[in-house]
Amino acid sequence: MIRIAAVGDVHVDKDVVGRYRPALEELPDRADALLIAGDLTRHGTVEEAQCFAKEFGGLAVPVVVVLGNHDHQSDQQEQVTGVLEDAGITVLEGAATVLELNGHRLGVAGTKGFGGGFAGACASNFGEREMKDFVGTSERYAAALREALHSVECDALVALTHYAPVPETLVGEPLEIYAFLGCYQLGQAIDSAPVALALHGHAHHGSERGRTPGGVPVRNVAHPVIKQAYNVYQLLSEEIETSLTSV
Amino acid sequence: MTNDIDLEAEIQRLLTEHDRIAEQGITVQRRDHSIVLGGEVESAQRRDEICRQITSRYPEVEITCDIGITRAQAPSEVEEIS
Repeated sequence: MIRIAAVGDVHVDKDVVGRYRPALEELPDRADALLIAGDLTRHGTVEEAQCFAKEFGGLAVPVVVVLGNHDHQSDQQEQVTGVLEDAGITVLEGAATVLELNGHRLGVAGTKGFGGGFAGACASNFGEREMKDFVGTSERYAAALREALHSVECDALVALTHYAPVPETLVGEPLEIYAFLGCYQLGQAIDSAPVALALHGHAHHGSERGRTPGGVPVRNVAHPVIKQAYNVYQLLSEEIETSLTSV
Repeated sequence: MTNDIDLEAEIQRLLTEHDRIAEQGITVQRRDHSIVLGGEVESAQRRDEICRQITSRYPEVEITCDIGITRAQAPSEVEEIS
């Protein structure tokens, strides 16, 4: 059994330091790892990253994150990543990591992702250069996620993104902005691999639960959606060994 | 009350682009003679700054603030994924 704590969109700055810490100190009793689905900061500055590292670093469980669009606002994502890694936090962008937990190997593949929309209302790689750049960016992040998902061997695989891979977890947001909240290409990447759980944030007014077309459970863990410090998801629950069950 | 039909859009952009706010999760709805703000933020300071900046930019606009502070307590339940 593996228990994963997850949250997104914590938007840490000086005014938030200390708010999460009491709940985070309880983590070792509740979960084996903490995954954070982007928007770690407000403006993506080094100072805010230091606040995030102070709040979410030094925990007794591994912490794995992806960046979100807010973490790109100051064009300092490399410095932000450096601050987080110095604090022992694993930052994924088109990459994967494997955590050894309770005798199991948990694989986490992550990317920020991008918008683009979903079936019936998606942008196309056509027309103006700006439009092709937009859709090309969606495709590039999705391809990076697909490659990362296929790069690991593990007992349970989790996809971690900021943008949404399905529209179901956007329900509650205005339909008009779905194309800015996620894209179907991320869902396709997730369905191409044996993913046990897909986690994302970004949609503050969205819904918690959905599934990809291929049936992978999707959870929107944006903080305003889950309304607590983190959610906990259990994977690899002990199965009954049927060969040992008397009949 | 301004008659600017784009007021909600302008406030939405102000909330996102102002360097002291940077909030994308605030709803802005016109109701009778006021603007109703909804959604949640991470601190009371952020909520208050939102109202302060809107009032500063649009002093004629009456604001009803329903913005909440997202709770940050530890969870009491685990969801089994299958």
